[in-house]
Amino acid sequence: MNSIADRALNAAQLAGASYADVRVVATRSQFLEVKNHRVSALQESTTHGLGVRVLAGGAWGFAASAVVDQREAERCAAEACRIARASAPFRRAPVVLDPLRPLEARYETPVAIDPFEVPLADKIELLARATNVMEGEPRVVVARGSMNFWEDRKLFASTEGRRIEQRIIHSGAGLSAAARSDDDLQWRSFPNSFGGHYEAAGYELIERFDLAGNAAATAATAAALLTAPQCPAGVSTVILDGSQVSLQIHESCGHPAELDRVLGHEANYAGTSFMTVEQCGRLQYGSPLVHLVADATAPRGLGTFGFDDEGVPAQKVDLVRNGRLVGYLTSRETAPLLGQGSNGTMRAESWAHLPIIRMTNINLEPGSGTLEELIASTEDGILMVTNRSWSIDDRRYNFQFGTEVGWEVRHGRRGRMLKNCTYTGVTPEFWNRCDAVCGPSEWEIWGTPTCGKGQPAQTMRTAQGAAPARFHDVQVGVGYGS
Amino acid sequence: MTTRAPDALAPLTGDEAQHVLSEALAMSSAAEDATAILESRVQALTRFANNEIHQNVASRQQALTVRVVIGRRCGVASTSRLDSSALRQVADRALALARLTPEDDELPPPAPAAMVAPLERFAAATAACTPEERAQAVGPVMQAAAAAGLNAAGALSTESICLALATRGGRFAYHPETYAHFTCTVRSDDSSGWCDRHRRDWRELEAAPLGATAIRKAEQSRVPVAIEPGAYTVVLEPSAVAELVAFLAWLGLGAQSEQEGRSFLSGRIGQRIAGESITLVDDATDPRGFGRPFDYEGTPRRRVTLIERGVARGVVHDRRTAARAGVESTGHACAPPAVEGPLPYDLVLGTGDATIEEMIGSTERGILVTRFWYNRVVDARRTIVTGMTRDGTFLIEGGRITRGLRNLRFNENVLDVLARADAIGRHAEPTVFDYAGNCVIVPALRTRDFRFTGVAPF
Repeated sequence: MNSIADRALNAAQLAGASYADVRVVATRSQFLEVKNHRVSALQESTTHGLGVRVLAGGAWGFAASAVVDQREAERCAAEACRIARASAPFRRAPVVLDPLRPLEARYETPVAIDPFEVPLADKIELLARATNVMEGEPRVVVARGSMNFWEDRKLFASTEGRRIEQRIIHSGAGLSAAARSDDDLQWRSFPNSFGGHYEAAGYELIERFDLAGNAAATAATAAALLTAPQCPAGVSTVILDGSQVSLQIHESCGHPAELDRVLGHEANYAGTSFMTVEQCGRLQYGSPLVHLVADATAPRGLGTFGFDDEGVPAQKVDLVRNGRLVGYLTSRETAPLLGQGSNGTMRAESWAHLPIIRMTNINLEPGSGTLEELIASTEDGILMVTNRSWSIDDRRYNFQFGTEVGWEVRHGRRGRMLKNCTYTGVTPEFWNRCDAVCGPSEWEIWGTPTCGKGQPAQTMRTAQGAAPARFHDVQVGVGYGS
Repeated sequence: MTTRAPDALAPLTGDEAQHVLSEALAMSSAAEDATAILESRVQALTRFANNEIHQNVASRQQALTVRVVIGRRCGVASTSRLDSSALRQVADRALALARLTPEDDELPPPAPAAMVAPLERFAAATAACTPEERAQAVGPVMQAAAAAGLNAAGALSTESICLALATRGGRFAYHPETYAHFTCTVRSDDSSGWCDRHRRDWRELEAAPLGATAIRKAEQSRVPVAIEPGAYTVVLEPSAVAELVAFLAWLGLGAQSEQEGRSFLSGRIGQRIAGESITLVDDATDPRGFGRPFDYEGTPRRRVTLIERGVARGVVHDRRTAARAGVESTGHACAPPAVEGPLPYDLVLGTGDATIEEMIGSTERGILVTRFWYNRVVDARRTIVTGMTRDGTFLIEGGRITRGLRNLRFNENVLDVLARADAIGRHAEPTVFDYAGNCVIVPALRTRDFRFTGVAPF
């Protein structure tokens, strides 16, 4: 691989590139799904390719190919330079990168059990056992269990003398049950929706879940939701479980903190951001309890790595401190505009994609106490658990989320189960109404495996660390009510 | 080695694809049945923001998928490499997976031989489009926005794709196609406008005049005012209608969700579910669309009537769901592993006789919506969707647009929206959803009592 990378870099420089980097990436993935007594998916995929990114004439060019050999590496380098030169007349100013020194390094996701070495029969047996338990609930019409495993082997090399090899492993699994009555359909998932829970980890993660042991409760909750009362419409105190807080962070802090969005680079597709550069250091984003960091060094997160796809080391930086906006997710091109160096958040979906700013692990630092203690201190409210629906405007102000299940909270106790829970708000108003965040014992680093951004569209795996949190004066029930 | 010369920038030809697929099938000879699918894609995209090109990319991607059957067991593996050694590895892996899989009592038998009528979907000009041509096309849009004191962002993309499929039983199908897309958002300090067009021939994108529409909308919606949430008559431009109609595909127009009782159509086939003016079909042959002539099982795509004059008529099938229902596949199998089952990929909503101008002109008080954004399902069974307006939301008063509005959140039942439609456009526009690869061809429509539940600060 090193010789192919060298060939690409040399060709780029000969074609006039002032800077070039190349990524050679081999990815393998495995997806299993068992549904209703049947292995409904068992698929393995491998992709291998290279992508060459160049600066020529002050503009970017990028070319990628699934053919990995020296001739194709040279062709991609030349094509990237041609593309850059075609762009150059339409630049207002040349691209300037923050400097990086030469470095050779390796990084590997620490795993206890390589998920690709675990026999498929064992995986299928576990999913079959768990889904069989869920099918024991008579009102369940879909009982589904799945596992996903990914391995990326990446070589990054640049004309500045960076050469970095990484092996990143992600694993995930989960259950979901759909229960049906004559006029309703309700889903319940474990440990999370979106196919389950995901981490930068090996098969030890799946063993930690006890899928079979949680299957009966998952199916029973789906069935119970059919006859549960509807979430009321009105204004209420809301307690969100950690997984829902995680998605709230993802949508209402992670995305608007991406500096490329802030600068308008994503204006046509993903959108822009209300967290403008003038607001940095001034905007009271949330209550003083709200401390949010972007931490690519945190153990187990889907945004954990050694180096980003520009060769910048993983870092931990503040985004919101004591409720105040203090930072952004940056790149080598955007950070200098703030007088800073990159904090290492550039990632590409694959060798075929250009790296763009992506969330790493956007973590809400834990407060104190347990969820049960938080409920006990709540006079009147609704506990909402596990995301079902999510939507937010293109500047990341107005959001609406729905959850799979909720419970009334009355006089410090968990009351009746509620179905079809929704809540809505405007991001800074909502986070300023945060009056409690649970402590480290409730904190988890939740994976989001399907974050979309970019043109051409890219899917990225990110994470958000969160514990359950409480918010007062929240509008609820809007999805169904008036 | 079957890898083609690296200086070629077109997707694989039919002969090249057949060669690769034949080799992959030969290496799967231990299986009782085998299917090999090859997708090859050359993609280029010029992206601009803040009135300058900031990203510009090209890629050549390919994927070979081998699906083998041993007894009642099936295994699937795929690779991006097309050399002989990779073909051997992927075939061996599919065979190994099949041997490890439990028996599948519902595994459909091998597909019968079928003739696939070709569909002309390839525009040579799109395949030959250069980075210089893309830059020259978007340059005037940026210049016009800058001259108006506005800020343009967008993308112009071209793709050349081949899909080829071969089976042990001797079936071979090859389909070349091209796709071109131009989209642009123009912003002022307090407003924005948008345009979007999908064509096979990139020369029909007409970026400059289309960009002028986005500029006009951005200027027309300056100093937007907030309007109280509530029920309003809305005129929805085709892009807004497409966002809503596309959800119906996922919420229940595929047979798997219908058979599992998850679909809004479950138990309602033959019943009235929308207004009499609503007819929705899936038609891969529509000349305005991007439909392919066969599905991922090699079955020719059939035109399927889903809703006829407001009455639910049917769903689309693949071989598995068709066998369950005792019917024939309609040719809507998705790419393996197809966990959502068959889906309609070429929805066409019937047109009416109104123009958008006529709809606005006959509206005493209402809202014109350019597009919806970040739309998500709130309740699948009830087809309730939430989302936001974006890039051009206008107040209609006395039959004319009077001013821009701050963006609004909606929560609506898509079928009810169609049931309440009282005017349908005479012109339909294709929208391709890049994350799903499906196309929706829809006109504008006006509907009453559209439920807005919130307002954004901008």
